[in-house]
Amino acid sequence: MSVSVSNTLSSLRRMDFWTLVTIATVVILFVLLILPIFSVFLVSFFDGKTGELTLDNYIRLFTKNYYISGFKNTIFVGFMGTLGATLIGVPLAFFTARFRIRGKALISTMAILVLVAPPFIGAYAWIMMFGSNGFITNFFASFGIITPTIYGAHGVILVFTLKFFPFVFLMTQTALNAVNKSFEDAAENLGCNVWQRFFKITLPLVFPAISTGAIICFVLSIADFGTPAILGRGFRTLSTIAYSAYTSELGGTPTMAVTISLVMMGISMLALLAQRHILAKRRYASSLTNPPVVKQLHGWRNIGVHVFCYAVVFVAMAPTLVVVYTSFLKTSGPVFIGGFGLQSYTRVMSDAPEAILNSFMFAFIAVMFIAIFSSLISYLIVRRDNAFSGGIDLMMMVPYLVPGIVMAIGFVTTFRTGWFDLTGTATIIIMIYFIRRLPYGVRSTTTALRQIKPSMEEAAVNLGANPLKAFVQVTLPLILPGLIVGSLMSFITAINELSSTLILYTAGTVTMPVKIYISVLDGEFGLAAALSTILLFSTGICVYVVFRFSENKESSFI
Amino acid sequence: MASVEIVGLKKLYGNVVALSDITLTIESGAFFTLLGPSGCGKTTLLRTIAGFHFQDAGTIHIDGKSIENAPAHKRGVGMVFQDYAVFPHLSVSDNVAFGLKQRKISAVDIKSRVADVLEAVQLSEFAERMPHELSGGQQQRVGLARAIVINPTVLLMDEPLSNLDAKLRVDLRAELRRIQQDLGMTTVYVTHDQEEALAMSDVVCVLHDGIIQQAASPLELYNQPANKFVASFVGGNNFLKVVLKDAEAYLPSAEASLGPVSATQTPIVAAVRPENISIVLGEEKLKKGNVSVPGAINQISFIGREMEVHATTDTGETLKIIARPDVDVLELKAGARVKFIFAKADVILFEDNENGLRLEDGLRSS
Ligand SMILES: Nc1ncnc2c1ncn2[C@@H]1O[C@H](COP(=O)(O)OP(=O)(O)O)[C@@H](O)[C@H]1O
Ligand SMILES: [Mg+2]
Repeated sequence: MSVSVSNTLSSLRRMDFWTLVTIATVVILFVLLILPIFSVFLVSFFDGKTGELTLDNYIRLFTKNYYISGFKNTIFVGFMGTLGATLIGVPLAFFTARFRIRGKALISTMAILVLVAPPFIGAYAWIMMFGSNGFITNFFASFGIITPTIYGAHGVILVFTLKFFPFVFLMTQTALNAVNKSFEDAAENLGCNVWQRFFKITLPLVFPAISTGAIICFVLSIADFGTPAILGRGFRTLSTIAYSAYTSELGGTPTMAVTISLVMMGISMLALLAQRHILAKRRYASSLTNPPVVKQLHGWRNIGVHVFCYAVVFVAMAPTLVVVYTSFLKTSGPVFIGGFGLQSYTRVMSDAPEAILNSFMFAFIAVMFIAIFSSLISYLIVRRDNAFSGGIDLMMMVPYLVPGIVMAIGFVTTFRTGWFDLTGTATIIIMIYFIRRLPYGVRSTTTALRQIKPSMEEAAVNLGANPLKAFVQVTLPLILPGLIVGSLMSFITAINELSSTLILYTAGTVTMPVKIYISVLDGEFGLAAALSTILLFSTGICVYVVFRFSENKESSFI
Repeated sequence: MASVEIVGLKKLYGNVVALSDITLTIESGAFFTLLGPSGCGKTTLLRTIAGFHFQDAGTIHIDGKSIENAPAHKRGVGMVFQDYAVFPHLSVSDNVAFGLKQRKISAVDIKSRVADVLEAVQLSEFAERMPHELSGGQQQRVGLARAIVINPTVLLMDEPLSNLDAKLRVDLRAELRRIQQDLGMTTVYVTHDQEEALAMSDVVCVLHDGIIQQAASPLELYNQPANKFVASFVGGNNFLKVVLKDAEAYLPSAEASLGPVSATQTPIVAAVRPENISIVLGEEKLKKGNVSVPGAINQISFIGREMEVHATTDTGETLKIIARPDVDVLELKAGARVKFIFAKADVILFEDNENGLRLEDGLRSS
């Protein structure tokens, strides 16, 4: 008895700064992550009008044609987009990792720019090219040639493919660079020809990376709202259905929107679990004692490989270039009147200055908190080996999986209560940016912290620094590059956020992506282009800084 | 300067017992070495003293003050790390000043103390360098300077030399010992290298499976190992089977008696150090007090100053002999028959069981 009392006392005395951080983190994750998701979950089991407990919402979703077709469409474009991204990304990775390609850095840079460009820019740039009044459509029409329309499923798939292939590309490339050449040599020595070697040795070895890239593509495609919203034209996916359900249920309880969103999340989770299951037996660790060689190709093979690589990144970059180009076209109101001019930018300044200001302010404040918390959380994850830190690590996966719409609806149901109402405020948008982008910061700082030997902090503590001081004076300076990279990644993704802002914004809290989305719907392409260019430019600066600060440049972005 | 008293210390990692019931006393100013094979719990014990983790039971007193529940940053013990742990973002003098700044010592005092300690470790001219501009040996000196400048009650060192190359290790070993003696600082030193332990220490404490085997001066440890484990871990030993015949220890491999022993129930075994055995090729008259074990050579390695011979006795027991290189022996082929001679006085008897304790009164006379 007395022993257990003294044990409790001494464990109380052993509580330190990190115990408090653990408690704070658990509380924050509970309020900002678990509670909203749980409340969304609850809402889906109630009747929107009568408030009775019911399974009707789910039953409706799986019986009504409208929803079933949305469900099928979502899976279809998600799967095809992922397939397309993989079919482009893997060869591109293989070519750039194994063959001498001129301007390899340019290819990687362009792939990264594609990755960080606002997601829906692609969609509407394709409209500007191939839409019913697109310049390529018009160009061919002047010769009497009718180009296929961009609207509908195939357009969405095309955009997903070109938008998400960089994930597969960059992950596979990193993995290929880490395959010990001895494996391939051994296969050759045992009698494999080039193709057999690739399919029997190299491909299986990088399969975990490919599948991770592919699963990211799939999850993002499922959750993508902007692309089907702009290019769908009657082709509806769960995310667009959920959004219109939400807007039509506005005021009432958004039960149907919530139910649909949860099904979307379920799909993502199932896909992730399936991938983990498949990967469980396929973890290959090896040290890179014999790095792969880069081969110089000759003749038509060399030309072919170059053409492929550049074609892929240029086509993927085309929408972005079109957007920048469009932003400098002369306009009068929403109409392009030929020639170049800066009217679109003047319009931005007069019509939407608050969108720019808000975007920067929200993203900046959110990232400040992300920087603070990701350094603390990564410390817990890396250095504290207990159930809580393990749980926090696991929780950091959740924001990747939860579509923005789900998170946003969860925020509305959680933070609009009888006592207080945060909806419509800037605070709620900053909060959602914080929780949704926190994992980017945590991941980067965690990676940085794993490189630092624990003995560094122990030495500081041993010399008399308390745990907080040791962290600030020793750990923080050492993980600073990783922290900066992580914060910038959070910033890039926060400032480009559309789906959850769209649900949470009001006139006073409009952001650039929202304004762009609205402008596109209104046919204000010039305004949208100018805003997109500003967004792209800001993003581009961040990318440049990430390049300056990170050692392994490309993999900072995935 | 301070004494350390540890009583009943116990540490578990889940189900793994890393330390079980450690009780020891370290006298003020002593150089105390924890020696043992990898995984025996040396680091765990050292880190428990430093407060990097907490014990499951037991107490630690430094100079009579209980510290086992104090947080690590308040224990005032100095630590030198195996991987140096020199802060890469601070210069040499900032590294050394780190602990002093935590103690809110005036800038003037810090400056002079840093200068003094850098002089003691011969790093004065490197004061403004960054760690990456230093060699491993120099970095470890910074680690040492940083630890001793705060005047710790006890200095802890966890294999501080193991990341350095062989020659530097020997040089730094002497320097460490010199600095420790100059300061008279109570030191707990961890190593798995028995030569290092014997060369530096006042007291060597052999640890095995989280249990203290023996704590004694190097000489005593070598000459009177407490049990079979210590006998074989420190310096190496050959173990030969002994049978009891008429209250005498009879060595079947030599077909000779070693002398009378006090009666014992447990089986016993004889230990002979490799360097106490000589190899005889031809016929030679056996001196009084020696025994001769016939056998055959397995393998001979010439390693410069000495040669190492592996052999098997006719009774099938293996022997290792270390001797001055001898051309006649070096020319022998595997299988060559020779005699192994050693003095009965060099034999130590152990119980031949799990504990393997040394027979207290050993051979009564010979
Ligand atoms: N953090 C840990 N978790 C679990 N087991 C550990 C941990 N640290 C050490 N051990 C185990 O405790 C035992 C003692 O380890 P250690 O003190 O590091 O040994 P030494 O320093 O003598 O090599 C070993 O069996 C080791 O595997
Ligand atoms: Mg150790």
